[in-house]
Amino acid sequence: MNFLSLFARNLRRGPYTEPFPFGPPSPTPKRLRGRIAFDAATCEGCLLCEKLCPSGAIKFTRTPEGMTFDCWHPTCVFCGTCEFYCPTKAIHQTNDWHLAHFQSEKFGMTEHGLIPNLVCADCGGKGLNTVPNTAKVRPPLSAEEVVQLRARCPKCRNKFLKSRGKKP
Amino acid sequence: MTVLARLKNLAARSPWLYRINAGSCNGCDVELATTALIPRYDVERLGIQYCGSPRHADIVLITGPLTKHVLEAAKRIYAEIPDPKVTVAVGVCPISGGIYRESYAVCAPIDQYFPVDVNIPGCPPRPPAIIEGVAKALEIWRQRL
Repeated sequence: MNFLSLFARNLRRGPYTEPFPFGPPSPTPKRLRGRIAFDAATCEGCLLCEKLCPSGAIKFTRTPEGMTFDCWHPTCVFCGTCEFYCPTKAIHQTNDWHLAHFQSEKFGMTEHGLIPNLVCADCGGKGLNTVPNTAKVRPPLSAEEVVQLRARCPKCRNKFLKSRGKKP
Repeated sequence: MTVLARLKNLAARSPWLYRINAGSCNGCDVELATTALIPRYDVERLGIQYCGSPRHADIVLITGPLTKHVLEAAKRIYAEIPDPKVTVAVGVCPISGGIYRESYAVCAPIDQYFPVDVNIPGCPPRPPAIIEGVAKALEIWRQRL
C-alpha cells in the first residue's frame, strides 16, 4: 500500500487507539479464554476438571447441601483444559476479561456453584443431582429415561441401566 | 486548604510506573510493554509514563512469582521507591503463585512481602485489563497523595 492511500485511510478512520478506559472497550474476540463460568444444572460430577486443573484453582467440596464447586480466578491460568475435558460442557470459559480488582476483593474472585442433594426416587437414599453419564449407553436413552435416571442415586442408576439392558 | 487540594490534584495527574520482574516468564512483561508502547493501548493517555529508576516511580507493577533468587533484590528495589507508592500485582503468579503455587523455589503470593493494592489476574492479562488495573491503582494513588 503506498503512502497516499495509507494517509487517506488514516484520515478517514481517525486514531487507532482504543477508547478504554474512557469509553467502551472494543469488541472482545469470542474465543478469548477469560473468566470461568460454571453451570451446576448440567454438571456430571465426574471431578475431572478438579483433577486436571494444572494450577489447582478448581475445588469441589462436600457440604450438607450437596457438592460445591469453586474456581478461584487469581490462581486460574485460563488454559481451557477444564472446558476441553468437561463431558457436558458444564464448565466453560467466557470472554470476560474484567478481572482486575482491589486487594480487599482478592478472596471473593471465585466462581461458585452448588450441585444440590437429591432423594432417590427408588430407594429414598441420598444422591447428588448430577447429570447421568449416558455417553456409552446403547441403545441411546430417550429424554424421558434421562429424567428418570437423574432422579435416582448412583446405585439405583446402575440398577436402572442393567434392567434396561435385559429387555429384549 | 484549597490551594493544597489543587496542588494535590495537579500532582496526581502524572504518576510514573516502574516494573519489577520478580522471576516472571516474560509473558506479563511483554503485555506490559504492549500496553505502553503500541498505539492501540496507549497507557500514556492516562498521564502515565514508564520510568527506568525506582527512585522516580509512583506505581509499581510486579510480575512473576517472586522466586527465592530475586527475593532480596526485589525487596531492596521496592524499598528504594519513595512513599506514597501503589503496588500492582500483574498476572496470576504474584497474586497466588498460579501454576508455580507451592513450589519450593517460589515465594508467592507476594502479599507476604509487599503491601499489594491492586491485583490483575490473567496468564498473561490482556492489555486492556492491565489498563483497567492501572486505572484502579490511580484511584488509590489519588487518595494516598
